[in-house]
Amino acid sequence: MAYSDKVVDHFNNPRNMGSFKKDEDGVGTGMVGAPECGDVMKLQIKVQNDTIVDAKFKTFGCGSAIASSSLATEWLKGKTIEEAQQIKNTDIVQELNLPPVKIHCSVLAEDAIKAALADYQKKADGQPSDTK
Amino acid sequence: MARSMCWHCQSAVTGEYFCERCVKVQPVSKETDYFTCLGFPRRLTLDPKQLEAKFYELSRTFHPDFYQTKTPAEQTISLGNAAVLNTAYRTLRDPIQRAEYLLGLETGSVKDIRTSPPADLFEEILELQDTLEEYRSSERDSQEGQKLRTVLETEQRGLEQRKQEMEAQLQRLFTEWDQLQDRGEATSQTRAERDRLLKQMRDLLSNRTYVTSIVSDLAATIA
Repeated sequence: MAYSDKVVDHFNNPRNMGSFKKDEDGVGTGMVGAPECGDVMKLQIKVQNDTIVDAKFKTFGCGSAIASSSLATEWLKGKTIEEAQQIKNTDIVQELNLPPVKIHCSVLAEDAIKAALADYQKKADGQPSDTK
Repeated sequence: MARSMCWHCQSAVTGEYFCERCVKVQPVSKETDYFTCLGFPRRLTLDPKQLEAKFYELSRTFHPDFYQTKTPAEQTISLGNAAVLNTAYRTLRDPIQRAEYLLGLETGSVKDIRTSPPADLFEEILELQDTLEEYRSSERDSQEGQKLRTVLETEQRGLEQRKQEMEAQLQRLFTEWDQLQDRGEATSQTRAERDRLLKQMRDLLSNRTYVTSIVSDLAATIA
């Protein structure tokens, strides 16, 4: 089956590729892999005042995995932490028109979002808040 | 085999693949695992020669060509059995696939074993991926391109060696697993041992997949 136009577009022009320094303030890092196919995905968010102001990703894997993570970073930007929690892999499947054999790529992206959010929370909880 | 009644004469089936009374071929049940299907115990170290011999023997038993003069019901069964047999053999022939399959049987779903993602390995793979990208966009014959190539070749050798080490380590775990099964005890100690082995195998199998994937990418790029 051929990739959808949207997948091809994200693959050829990946959005927000790159990375932040892990120990930077407000940065959450999610690193996940799919043992079935060997794909590896790193997704990072930068948070200010509970809002994701920037997101970056690096993915080693197939076109669908790259497109899923690229789309995820686009969606994450501007969302609050709570809104970001709501992103589901099925949303990605729908947007990118992924065939059944590629659904696990979107699951990987959702896992990466969750991991990045959890990492951010963990870091935030560990540091005493100086804003209030 | 987990079959109770012959589809044809309704008598209890005592034979392995055929009804002893009416001599009709019996369908291999969907619940039959590949080890049982090929008549092997659930072990991770199997003799490939024995496995192959059994596969050939059963292939002759079930091959649809030998059922051309039989009833349509028997033809359907032979076709189904031959297909199951092929998949079973393909899966068990390869030690890695065999282990993945056994892990699936032992844990319901392979994903049920909680593993910690190997963050260091992931970082390494992504960094290497960056270097690969640099190499792809560089002039191959330039000084920069040749330098990158040397770096990548060194990485490739290192990773291939690590893959071999992982496989050797897996082989040791396979042996340990089989020994544990052979002892057949059911104490809390053996259960803990069983869980430890399953988790270690799961982790190693996953890491091996990641390494294999990046190695083949490396090989394809600098070939």
